[in-house]
Amino acid sequence: MNATTGGVPFSFSRLLIVAGNTFTEAVRQKLFNFLLLLAVGLVASAQFFREFNFGSSELKFISDFGLGAMVFFGSTLTIAATAQLFFSEIENRTALTILAKPIWRTEFIFGKFLGVFAVIGVFCALTTLLLAGLLCSRENSLMALHPDAFPNGRLIHYGDLMVMGVLQWLKFGVLAAITLLIASFSNTNLYTVVMSFFMLVICHLQYLAHDAYAQVASLPLRLLVRMLGYVFPNFQVFNLADQVAIGSGLDAGVVLRVAGYALVYIAVIGGLAVYSFRNREI
Amino acid sequence: MTPAALPLAIEIKNLTKDFPLNLRGVKLRAVENLTLSVPEGRVFGLLGPNGSGKSTTIKIILGLLEPTVGECKVFGVPSGRVDSRLNVGYLPEAPYFYRYLSGTELVCFYARICGVPRKRLDERVREVIDWVGLSGAAQRRVGTYSKGMLQRIGLAQALVHDPRLIILDEPTAGVDPVGSAEISELILKLKAQGKTVLITSHLLAQIEDVCDRVAILDRGKLILEGDVNELVGQRDRQALIVDPLSPEQLDELRGWLAARGHALNAVEQPRARLDQLFISRVSRPDKGGQK
Amino acid sequence: MKFNLLALRPLRAGTVVLATLLIAGWAMRPLEDPAWQAVRAGQPALKLDSLQGALGQGVTVGLLGGFRAIAADFFWIKTNSVWSDYDLPATQTLIKLVTAIDPRPLYFWQNGARMIAYDMPNWRVAEAGGYDVVSTAMQQQIEHEQSAVAIKYLNEAFGYHPDSVQIYLEIGNVYLNRLKDLNSAAEYYHKAALRSDAPYFVARIYAELLRRQGRNAEAYDWLKKLYPTLPKPTPPGLVQPAKNQPSALEIEMAMAPVVLGRIREIEKELKIPEYQRFKP
Repeated sequence: MNATTGGVPFSFSRLLIVAGNTFTEAVRQKLFNFLLLLAVGLVASAQFFREFNFGSSELKFISDFGLGAMVFFGSTLTIAATAQLFFSEIENRTALTILAKPIWRTEFIFGKFLGVFAVIGVFCALTTLLLAGLLCSRENSLMALHPDAFPNGRLIHYGDLMVMGVLQWLKFGVLAAITLLIASFSNTNLYTVVMSFFMLVICHLQYLAHDAYAQVASLPLRLLVRMLGYVFPNFQVFNLADQVAIGSGLDAGVVLRVAGYALVYIAVIGGLAVYSFRNREI
Repeated sequence: MTPAALPLAIEIKNLTKDFPLNLRGVKLRAVENLTLSVPEGRVFGLLGPNGSGKSTTIKIILGLLEPTVGECKVFGVPSGRVDSRLNVGYLPEAPYFYRYLSGTELVCFYARICGVPRKRLDERVREVIDWVGLSGAAQRRVGTYSKGMLQRIGLAQALVHDPRLIILDEPTAGVDPVGSAEISELILKLKAQGKTVLITSHLLAQIEDVCDRVAILDRGKLILEGDVNELVGQRDRQALIVDPLSPEQLDELRGWLAARGHALNAVEQPRARLDQLFISRVSRPDKGGQK
Repeated sequence: MKFNLLALRPLRAGTVVLATLLIAGWAMRPLEDPAWQAVRAGQPALKLDSLQGALGQGVTVGLLGGFRAIAADFFWIKTNSVWSDYDLPATQTLIKLVTAIDPRPLYFWQNGARMIAYDMPNWRVAEAGGYDVVSTAMQQQIEHEQSAVAIKYLNEAFGYHPDSVQIYLEIGNVYLNRLKDLNSAAEYYHKAALRSDAPYFVARIYAELLRRQGRNAEAYDWLKKLYPTLPKPTPPGLVQPAKNQPSALEIEMAMAPVVLGRIREIEKELKIPEYQRFKP
């Protein structure tokens, strides 16, 4: 898109206005309410694990279930919120009003994206902090009860936990971009949600295609499988820090690469969403 | 001044819009070879039955749809370009806005999108909300607004950046006679300010009251265009409205007219229009708590 | 033919999207590969053949999709519930399922082996009528069988945790506590003690196991080699560089004075002349 020939230059502040409005919608439509439910669930499950006398391994259970809940609910929130916040504009025809203003569709789409990304950011930050708080308080009491189980001090790598929160946020960012891309050409909210979940599964499992292509004998088939592996982002790379309770530290270089991987994908897929949305007749 | 001599707000040439229905070539032609000009400073009515291509034409003017063939310019700028919309305000048909924002927040949002400078923002938003008569409800969530209020807040957002061209798509659809009379008043005020207004409607009586010029579309084709007075005024006739005359006086008048080569064609009791009667009797509805 | 092109626009758009994604995926290999290798290194391959029968399709997809840890946790909780019902076949199956799903946490291996070696013999004896009814020979046979299962299970753990101190100790403990096989227990304690990350007590217990078998000379040699490696409190008046100073906890755990005491005990037992005695 040539931002200058139109006489109205691309404006980041307009993009932020759309993002701010999207975020306000999420807040006022009470999308965050279920966070409370999630928090109660996490605390309750942490309480539940005490029943089993796992000792210091109780921390592993809390962190596994906490991260699992974050991944599961985060994915659901990302897809549902992106589709909802996009289609509320289309279905309520507010897109008509806003796109009739001097605004680029790029600003609109990336504004929508940034609004959703901020919503997921708040979700990830709150969930990570809640989980860290839960783990820390339980670790303190376990350390007081069984000091011998903590010969090297704390078991939980809280830094890794924070990195995990950020990586999940970035992954949800890619997922939100994918959902926007699907929404940009799809006609219904439901189709978008179903397709996005489908994509989520594919992106988690695409490494199997990578693995499989090596074993396929025929060349055309091998090429096809290999290409499929390239078409979908590999979501498994974001699981870099999923073992915060028994992990052995993270390589900052690898973390930065994963972050770069996510950001490039967000830009590329977001750009494709703009391309597809420009063809859409409102 | 004739329309041709005025600078043009909208210029549509040989515009055709097709919607593909399937890959085998079945298509829906929504607008066919439309050529139309809207001069600046006029109130222009785009009329036609449902499905005649009015909304499609408006969407093309706003750059929401791309023409299949032909061109469309707004103040000389092709309508596909973002800057063609710099001086355009648009009120969609049956508008539905972000329910979770208050009236002020909503208008403020659109004002910022349109680049109203920050230091003028609050003042300008207050001004237009006041202008459409919604000051009392400005802090209420839009979700609680009635249809008429939605129409008025829609008008406020369309006007907030002080555009030169205002496009109103069926502004009175679903609004009661009082509300639609108010909208007519607002349109006339806009005209007095020198704005160009493009208005679509299938309620012809209303259009007739406010429009200078109309075009009628049917099945995507332009079937009639011209000044309202030219189209509906009967220039070879005149009506006189007088106090009641007795039959003798009426006969005398006939004689007087016949001596001068004129005929008295009809004698009728003039009737007030029902909507005017309604408006004069019904109390003005609540304007959202305004004094 | 303007119209046909119009109708084909979605196809064209789809092609552009796919092609762009393909190029992006290919171009991002340098970013993806190192991260993917790192993730792969932390995730042992799933043995799907052994799992598919036990799990439904949904769970299998979940496992492949990165929910292994949580699935293993879930089945471990299930293991605990069948364990509290003394359900031997179910417990044994679930223990193996858990480590097949996620072999990374040592906790599963250790506690699974303990259930097999220490709890299950009691269940089997109780089922056969109790310790009063079942003959000692039969009891021993049950203990041997269960211990063999546990040791075989723990040996599988080495596939994922090569040379793990904890696993060596776990096997050593089964020999020591269940089978009373001091020789084998000592062998595993020795393997554990040779690891640099072994806790200090392992080396001391290894020496004790040797002594209990009457292998005093071996124990003596071992402790003599061990003592100089242990962190000791700084003698008063001597200032050590702060950098290499062991922590108070470390010094306490190393129990150097206790080790020296053992050395002296063995020297007495072995009647080692004064001049040949160990000089720290």
